[in-house]
Amino acid sequence: MEAAIDVVDLRKRYGDVVAVAGISFDVQRGTIFGLLGRNGAGKTTTLESCIGLIKPTSGSVRVLGLDPSKRGDLARLRRRFGVQLQATSLPEKAKVRELLEVYAAYYGVKSDVEASAQRVGLEGKLDRFVGKMSGGEKQRLGLALALQHDPEVIFLDEPSAGMDAYGRRVLWAEIDRLRDSGKTVVLTTHYIEEAERLCDEICVVQRGKVIARDTPTALIERFGGGASVTFSARGFRLEAPLSGAGVWTHDGDRWTVVTDREPGLLLAEIVTYANASGSVIDALDLHRPGLEDAFLAITGETIEEPADEEPAA
Amino acid sequence: MTTLRMLAVQTRMNFIWYFWRDGEMIFWSLAIPLFFLFVFSYALGYGSTKQTSTFLVPGLIGAQVLSSGFWGVGAQLATFREQKVLRRIYLTPLPPWVFFASLVLYRMTLLAVQAILLVAAGRFVFGVHVIGNPAAVVFILLLGAATFVALGSVIGAVVKTAESANNVASVLTVPLAFLSDAYIPLDRFPPQVAGALRLLPSTQFIDAFRGIAMHGIPLAVFSGWILALGCWTVAATVISARYFRWV
Repeated sequence: MEAAIDVVDLRKRYGDVVAVAGISFDVQRGTIFGLLGRNGAGKTTTLESCIGLIKPTSGSVRVLGLDPSKRGDLARLRRRFGVQLQATSLPEKAKVRELLEVYAAYYGVKSDVEASAQRVGLEGKLDRFVGKMSGGEKQRLGLALALQHDPEVIFLDEPSAGMDAYGRRVLWAEIDRLRDSGKTVVLTTHYIEEAERLCDEICVVQRGKVIARDTPTALIERFGGGASVTFSARGFRLEAPLSGAGVWTHDGDRWTVVTDREPGLLLAEIVTYANASGSVIDALDLHRPGLEDAFLAITGETIEEPADEEPAA
Repeated sequence: MTTLRMLAVQTRMNFIWYFWRDGEMIFWSLAIPLFFLFVFSYALGYGSTKQTSTFLVPGLIGAQVLSSGFWGVGAQLATFREQKVLRRIYLTPLPPWVFFASLVLYRMTLLAVQAILLVAAGRFVFGVHVIGNPAAVVFILLLGAATFVALGSVIGAVVKTAESANNVASVLTVPLAFLSDAYIPLDRFPPQVAGALRLLPSTQFIDAFRGIAMHGIPLAVFSGWILALGCWTVAATVISARYFRWV
């Protein structure tokens, strides 16, 4: 079957600034696809090229076989995709109910305002003014407006930005529901946890390029590195066969071993050995590699940009 | 049919969101023109109070036509663009022209309310009557509205930020209201200046409107100016259509 989205060598330059430097990927129908990367990596530019907001400098984009940079194709696509952007605003003096009704009218669908609001946890807030809503509530309203016309493909740009724990739960449940009904979802995020939890496939984007693409599990397996066990033990001496279990490092009484073996079993062996040899364990920790480790290994940087350090007082 | 429904829904919402729930907007668009009518009618001596009011009622309506176009449509579009409202609309199947038309329709409805208030105040307070042929009066008002909506759209199209668009709109609306025979009769200016000011589309519109509405002068007398206003409208429409950006 034809891919829902097919992006080939997409490039976008603004003057001397290269926002996207040759990105290619395809998204199969029914997939939850994540563009993961730091702010400024080119995720939003890529997403906005898929919905006709940005005209690519070069390269091709097809969504449901149509070219969003062409007027006629975009006109047909608008009914078939749903969009939630970071950078949009809704009229401050509009009520939730009114916006749901107006957007239903744009698409010529019947509005079930109550049901739409309920899906995103805004039931009971139908008469709330947009201007009086929190950032997270506005995001959820944006999601409801993107979904009312039952689109085939849904584009979500940083959907959980500004959301609290409740909002994120609502969003994730909604994306699970979209997956269950066979919809294609493309989302950008810089939350590792979100990408790992939601996405069937992840594109890691760095400086305008795709530098890795796979399922979260495969990315972790390939790039996550070994699991590690870290512990503090007084009077611990490293001996065979334990010393052959992995790569050991220590800082005084604090030991770390990175291993390819099942870390739970290794941990049990360490405890048994420590008890037998009379050393006392004060702290113990097991770490399995996650997407965060894989991201670090792939990009050579953490996803959170280092905060500007305060000058020392 | 769907398109008409979209237009109706969006126009109604514009009215509710940007007028009805905005106290400042209600005050500026309804109270201020009436305030000007009363203060100027008594304060400015263009003959009797009734004569002054006869001059001012069409003048104030004309000034509102300018401000509807420059500020209400032009600067408003730039503000919508900057606030990313246009961007969101652009992603829906709502045809862009329907959104534009809904903004114009909303402002035209408001303009009708303003005109009715001014005419009613003029009639019941100052005994001023509109004696022109209603069809001719409506025609010249609509033509003026079209001209200044088109000119306003040029602001919305070429001025980048909302702030500068609002400044341009104010800089055009306020001085033009004073220089275009709206608040101050042109004969108060030196003849050469008055002659130059008579070349402005705003002066031509307001003069034609006043002549037709208040003095019952036939439309045909103003055919030169009507043609000129039509040219301004077409030129401004072409320019704004060429440069307007939704996103």
